[in-house]
Amino acid sequence: MTSRPRSSVSCTNRPGALFSALGLLLAFLFVSFSQADAAQPDQYELLARGTKLVQDDRLAEAAAVFDQIPPPPPGEDAGIFVQAHINAAKIHYSLKDFASSARLCREVLAVLPDNLEAKNMLGQAQIAQTPEWLRFLKDMKTFFPTLVKATSMTLLLVFITMAISPIGGLFVALGRISRNRLISSVFWFYIWIFRGTPLLLQLFFIYYGLPSMGIVLDPFTAAVLGLGLNYSAYLAEIMRGAIESIDSGQMEAAKAIGMSYWQAMRRIIVPQTYKRLVPPVGNEFIALIKDTALVSTIAMVELMRAANQIFSATFNIYILAQAAIIYLILTSIFTVTFRKIEDRLGVYENR
Amino acid sequence: MIELQGVVKRYGSLTAVDHVDLDIEKGQRIVIIGPSGSGKTTLLRMINFLEKMDAGKILMEGRPVGYRTDKKGRLVMEKPHVICELRSEIGMVFQHFHLFPHMTVLQNVMEGPVTVKKEPREDVRKLALDLLAKVGLTDKKDVYPAFLSGGQKQRVAIARALAMRPKLMLFDEPTSALDPELVGEVFYTIKGLAEEGITMVIVTHQMGFAREIGDRVIFMDNGKFIFEGHPEDLFSETMEHPRIRAFLQKVL
Repeated sequence: MTSRPRSSVSCTNRPGALFSALGLLLAFLFVSFSQADAAQPDQYELLARGTKLVQDDRLAEAAAVFDQIPPPPPGEDAGIFVQAHINAAKIHYSLKDFASSARLCREVLAVLPDNLEAKNMLGQAQIAQTPEWLRFLKDMKTFFPTLVKATSMTLLLVFITMAISPIGGLFVALGRISRNRLISSVFWFYIWIFRGTPLLLQLFFIYYGLPSMGIVLDPFTAAVLGLGLNYSAYLAEIMRGAIESIDSGQMEAAKAIGMSYWQAMRRIIVPQTYKRLVPPVGNEFIALIKDTALVSTIAMVELMRAANQIFSATFNIYILAQAAIIYLILTSIFTVTFRKIEDRLGVYENR
Repeated sequence: MIELQGVVKRYGSLTAVDHVDLDIEKGQRIVIIGPSGSGKTTLLRMINFLEKMDAGKILMEGRPVGYRTDKKGRLVMEKPHVICELRSEIGMVFQHFHLFPHMTVLQNVMEGPVTVKKEPREDVRKLALDLLAKVGLTDKKDVYPAFLSGGQKQRVAIARALAMRPKLMLFDEPTSALDPELVGEVFYTIKGLAEEGITMVIVTHQMGFAREIGDRVIFMDNGKFIFEGHPEDLFSETMEHPRIRAFLQKVL
């Protein structure tokens, strides 16, 4: 009955105990040779008892004995006191009594403020003392600036793609509805490729594939190019649909007042698509925020990659949760903003 | 001023307009009536090059315009910029108005001269306000079309066409999409233009146009003119054509 907890304790504590015993022995030898005539029998007796207890694997009792060694009067050598206390602190630490461990270290530091071993021990005990959730919170606080900085890269990618892809999309959409068969099929092919293959594959192709054709791009350019080409293809189909949904009478009315095809497109048809475009384009841009996570695979340090790196180092799952919350905040802001833009563009409608 | 010679339009096996000759003199007010599907709207749209004719000639001031024959001897429309220039001299009013919904009434009227003719905005604004006054919609100048009644929309559409100062105005069933009580305002607006001496061709089902505005009435059936003459003659008892009589009995 008693063997079970005992064996588990000895299993976990044996290296610590051995280490303590060795240290103690060294300290004992050091003390007995250098300060044999320093008359402090109490101190020696306690040290010996404690050491014996450690050897017998009675660690808790040993720690209690070491603890009894009083601090030396000012000016006197503190070697035994320090060594015994640090040993006691180690024992407490290995027994998961972090509070006692920290107290013992502080007592040592009160006598020898520069003792490195005590300082390290105290730091470890304090870390161990904090509850797990608090430790996670501290990690989150520590890494929050890193995540924010990474978020700015995510946003930069989002905004650049948002600036490029509507222009590219309109260009492709107009090419797609061209009555010239050749032009129309070239743009059909473009849309077919970029909507029909994974964005991840496109990014890999641009970043890892193009160098074999002599085109080497830095990760940022590759990311912008990949996102821009992909999103232009998606927006092109949305824009083509919106343009084709405008009443054909609008084009005729524009032509009837002498407008050319391009004047009619620019002044009459395309402006009428804006309001219809906002909901689907808004959706695409919300998807874009999340799709930027894919560029983490081509060595871009943005929110996803930063979170993943910190997570790998700390195994703190809340870092990922924190990244998730940042993504959620971004997508929510976009949702609200596009809703407002849609309302504003609807002024000419009778509701 | 504008002359059509032997104009033909086919849709597959159907001949919508069948060798039609029409001479539009300056200041003339031509009203084309006839049953649905008789080809009157198609004819009107060909005058404005919105529809490509399959055979025939369109002459402006005696010169053939808008078409050339390619190497295989087929009739093809001239390059877009040539067509645009021709169109800018012809105003057109549609059955369903086709106002630009994203522009205010004033912007709708100003759009042609500003974008097509590149006239200075301030001059165009003055012109547009004059035209809106003429069609009685000055107080609606900053309103979007969605907030107008059908009759108001059609009057804006008329002002928009007039802003280009066209030589000829084409009206494609201008009152057919209107509620009966709104027909009057559009009718009197067009009548007012007629009294100013503006050259116009009106396609309509509304006999009032033929009687009160037209100085020449054409009755069209199966792509052909089966009557062309003074309105009085169309309505007079002496009109012996059974097809026209049947139609008039139905609409009057």
